[in-house]
Amino acid sequence: MISQRKRLSSGLSVTSKVFVRSRNGGALKIVREHYLRNDIPCYSKSCQHCHDIVKADAKGELPTFILSATPAKLNSQVGHYVVLDTNIILHCIDLLENIQCFYDVIIPQTVLEEVKNRSIPIYQRLRGLVKSEDKGFAVFHNEFNEHTYINRLKNESINDRNDRAIRKVASWYNTHLNENNSPEKIEIILLCNDRDNRTKAKAEGINALSLTEYIDLLPNAEDLRDLIPADSTLSNELSNKENETTFPEFYSEARILAGIRNGTLYQGILNISPYNILEGSVKVAAFKKPLLIVGSKNLNRGFSSDSVIVELLPKDKWREPSSTIIEETTLGANDNAEDADENGDDDISGTNGVVSDKERLLLAQEAIRATTAASEEKRLQPAAKIVGITRRSWRYYVGQIAPTSVVGEDSGNSSRSCFVVLMDKTLPKIRIRTRKAKEYLGQRIVVSVDAWPSNSRYPNGHFVRSLGEIESAEAETEALLLEHDVEYRPFAKNVLDCLPAEGDNWVVPDLINTDDAQLKKRVDLRDKLVCSIDPPNCVDIDDALHAKRLPNGNYEVGVHIADVTHFVKPNTALDQEGASRGTSVYLVDKRIDMLPMLLGTNLCSLKPYVDRFAFSVIWELDEDANIVNVKFMKSVIKSREAFSYERAQLRIDDKSQTDELTDSMRVLLKLSKKLKQQRLDAGALNLASPEVKVHMDSETSDPNEVEIKKLLETNSLVEEFMLLANISVARKIYDAYPQTAMLRRHASPPATNFELLNDILNARRPGMAISLESSKALADSLDRCEDPNDPYFNTLLRIMSTRCMMAAEYFPSGSYGYPEFRHYGLAVDIYTHFTSPIRRYCDVVAHRQLAGAIGYENLDLSHRDKNKMELIVKNINRRHRNAQFAGRASIEYYVGQVMRNNESVHEGYVIKCFVNGIVVLVPKFGIEGLIKLELLGDVNTADYDENKYELKFTDLNGKKRSVAVFDKVMVDVKSVKDEVSGKRKAQLLLK
Amino acid sequence: MSRMEIYSPEGLRLDGRRWNELRRFESKINTHPNSSDGSSYVEQGNTKVICMVQGPMEPSSRSQADSTKATIEVNLSVASFSTFERKKRSKSEKRMVELKATLERTFEQSVMCHLYPRTLIQVDVTVLAQDGGLLASVTNAITLALIDAGIAMYDYVSCISVGLYDQTPLLDLNGLEEKDISTLTIGVIGKTEKLALLMLEDKIPLDNLESILGIAIAATHRLRDLMDDEVRKHGNVRASKLAKN
Repeated sequence: MISQRKRLSSGLSVTSKVFVRSRNGGALKIVREHYLRNDIPCYSKSCQHCHDIVKADAKGELPTFILSATPAKLNSQVGHYVVLDTNIILHCIDLLENIQCFYDVIIPQTVLEEVKNRSIPIYQRLRGLVKSEDKGFAVFHNEFNEHTYINRLKNESINDRNDRAIRKVASWYNTHLNENNSPEKIEIILLCNDRDNRTKAKAEGINALSLTEYIDLLPNAEDLRDLIPADSTLSNELSNKENETTFPEFYSEARILAGIRNGTLYQGILNISPYNILEGSVKVAAFKKPLLIVGSKNLNRGFSSDSVIVELLPKDKWREPSSTIIEETTLGANDNAEDADENGDDDISGTNGVVSDKERLLLAQEAIRATTAASEEKRLQPAAKIVGITRRSWRYYVGQIAPTSVVGEDSGNSSRSCFVVLMDKTLPKIRIRTRKAKEYLGQRIVVSVDAWPSNSRYPNGHFVRSLGEIESAEAETEALLLEHDVEYRPFAKNVLDCLPAEGDNWVVPDLINTDDAQLKKRVDLRDKLVCSIDPPNCVDIDDALHAKRLPNGNYEVGVHIADVTHFVKPNTALDQEGASRGTSVYLVDKRIDMLPMLLGTNLCSLKPYVDRFAFSVIWELDEDANIVNVKFMKSVIKSREAFSYERAQLRIDDKSQTDELTDSMRVLLKLSKKLKQQRLDAGALNLASPEVKVHMDSETSDPNEVEIKKLLETNSLVEEFMLLANISVARKIYDAYPQTAMLRRHASPPATNFELLNDILNARRPGMAISLESSKALADSLDRCEDPNDPYFNTLLRIMSTRCMMAAEYFPSGSYGYPEFRHYGLAVDIYTHFTSPIRRYCDVVAHRQLAGAIGYENLDLSHRDKNKMELIVKNINRRHRNAQFAGRASIEYYVGQVMRNNESVHEGYVIKCFVNGIVVLVPKFGIEGLIKLELLGDVNTADYDENKYELKFTDLNGKKRSVAVFDKVMVDVKSVKDEVSGKRKAQLLLK
Repeated sequence: MSRMEIYSPEGLRLDGRRWNELRRFESKINTHPNSSDGSSYVEQGNTKVICMVQGPMEPSSRSQADSTKATIEVNLSVASFSTFERKKRSKSEKRMVELKATLERTFEQSVMCHLYPRTLIQVDVTVLAQDGGLLASVTNAITLALIDAGIAMYDYVSCISVGLYDQTPLLDLNGLEEKDISTLTIGVIGKTEKLALLMLEDKIPLDNLESILGIAIAATHRLRDLMDDEVRKHGNVRASKLAKN
């Protein structure tokens, strides 16, 4: 390492970093310049020197000083700043984000870079903390500061050098603040969990503390102690004697890399079966069928949706997906949380083994069945085992403490281990240590996972916070939002600052007497008879329509969309917030907005009787609803009326109404029917999902009724024109931005997805089949599958086929070839989302791109850059999916609440059959539930016929019965609370 | 590579510079007084270039002679050890040919070629080390060598590269930055705003071009001063030697 420094000008000197990198066996010497400067401030408000040395950035903005002048005091009655070490950040990021502690924190650049190399997600959270400014986190670029830069000594390891650099930061701050520049004494505390480093620091006169020591000094230490994560080093030291208790170690990185290169290892996302916690699958491009991973040894500590490395097992271990239901709660329910980490030697029961006896039994049964019924070769799936995990999907998890794991007598203040059962059934229990297990019983709590050492049966985690009583509406809603990773906190101040200052009093400015060049480009459409049709009580109206007969016999039809991008300018805090939320989330009793209320429900919302900015698509359509031409423009409109679907329907049907507005709605209805017919002729699918709506009591806001969603003609009226607008816009923006246009595609389903369904159809309803050649063929074959005795059968089949479909996704046009743009379900060649910018971010991007395409304003860079578009798209796809799941989960919860009071018997349909249970769908409530064999009848007499998808058993009254897929059954629906997971859900009982 | 943070939120670049700071610039002229008519050596950060000029002289072949003006011929050779990984580069590589043509065209306009009809000015450039901003360093080196050779020019041609990261222009990119973001190289004549060279190998949005050009022109003026200092210093040394004799 060269240690020369060369002074360039005042305050800037240069040195060089030299390091050797090995690559493909060769060594490479790399020399980089490294500039050292004296204008890096300490960011402390109490410093009287640094304000004079700062320099502005390219926009002329000076850095803000963020460390408080009067920081929090410790026992010593002196305010303090904290300097963090890397291991603290990596292990305790949750604690850093906690609002009860860690204010005025200094993060040395050395640490920041180490964090970035170790974990990008934690790095991003740390950056978020620094950016939000409310906790006073400052990044101090010590490597570029000439006072704190140090050279690596001879024979010094890079880690030792970095530790020394961090200590240097602490001692520099100490002298910088206390010896010359700050009027008040400020203590600098180096927080570090490495004992060796602390000793060295103390020798240098730095106040160094471990995390536990530091927390103990805080006034609110009591509350915080539980939040300290499990020390992973501790459990590693624990006895490793018992070989059986260990999971196989992961392969080394080099072996994994080599394995992937030569094709013996594969990478993919682990997906645990919702019915069987011991069975996961990994979809790998190299195989047509997903790889099956069975048993906890093969799963090897994988969490659902981790990105894992798998190795194939020999062919004799290949098998078909299991038809048994195994839930975490049935497995090892009696495990003692303390056992594994306290006294390994009095391990008598053997439950400590990774594979418990009960699990072995289940596996053995499976194996027997697999060998006897191995006739059907084609259902065999390749099996594999996990040998490495490249990226953990760990996040916050919501769950509750398993009552059985809390030890009886509460002996004071010492912390004890207990299990947390997570709401997500596909995840294992998590072991946490807490002093307050008793207190948290019966509450929804948030935990985070720290590690899963190979010698532990369960992952270790720590408590984060409590959400409240189980089954209280607030706790459940929050739990649901957390589980689906929905950002629900109120908008931050810097986001709200981007809104117009006039607030609710904002009005459309005068169009004629204006100097604003953009305003002049707007088209005045206030004379058009525009109206909006939405669900009742809709407040965020983002679309409105108008129609007019033209003198030449054609029709002018306009779709007007709320002009959100007028308020949401690119690269503002508001835009970033919207982009990260991605979509609004609709729960039964709550709406989580993507954009602040003011925009969503007022300024952008196309409310009736007032002027609003809109983005209009205006077509000329002929009598058969073919497009003659189309125009796009930013406009000003004035909606004449806001209808609900029902009121619009009534008005259209009412023959006595002959005013212009009603007539134009009739024109719209007529055209929409033609559009729909065209679409269906082209092969658009009419799929079904068991959607229901929960009615709330208006006074107590208790849910009291469930109803299946009704569809009126006016629903499809709006839908057709929105589809038409989306398609027209998609063509336009693809034309203007062939590489980065924001589009939406729906891939055709691979034939394998329908294999099972067709097989069932073949067995249960001979003669019926679903053909897959095209969406048209699929639609037609679905139409043909009618059961004369059962009108619901067709709908049932549609629901089941929907589940075999691929999910539609957003993408920038550059990532696929034109033929793959196709939207299978709608049967169009190109599609996007344009019509709901208030609640979807995709539409916001589409708006900006369309505005760019028609020359209204320049398109922002981020929407012209393919990489950035990929990032946006990835996020909104995920958010969109999560929002759907959250919405469904919310309905499920409320349906459970409704049924709590009225137990009743309803019709249900069997949709899946297992060896030890069946899954029944109840259309009335849109719920499906599992009925286990134990509840059906005698377990020992049960016989499952795989070829016929039929389960025969003796029921509880001693009668012989058989049920098969598609059978209509009567079920007793009642709501029960699952004691372990605390989830209330519908329980079904066969009548 | 995506793990790099080209420009941190605190306003510092990978190597510790701010957005508008040049790298270390060092130059020398008359480095090879015996083997050439004019010579120079330029270091911009870790990019190091030697340049030698022969001429104006009689061209070896008749075809190179232009009866109205001098012909400028640039020969660019890049040492195989100039990058971290050794790699042999041929002169006929497309990129090299393009650079050569760009340089010849630039200097045909800035040198008063009409003063030297029927002659050849031969410029030989050797790149010793590369770390971004190759074209800029080569141009600066040629300018200095031409001045050393006493060839009449309108003014210095000073040249700099500038990139755009998000909305922020970054001056004088090093090799790492150049790999990641799009780069514009401009050469300016003297202290004017006349461009003798403008090279952009990928895309920069038009709306940001003005701010980029602004900072780049300011930087070239600064470089011109640095080169001018070196030329004057050398001139003084030569003058004092003459006076002694």
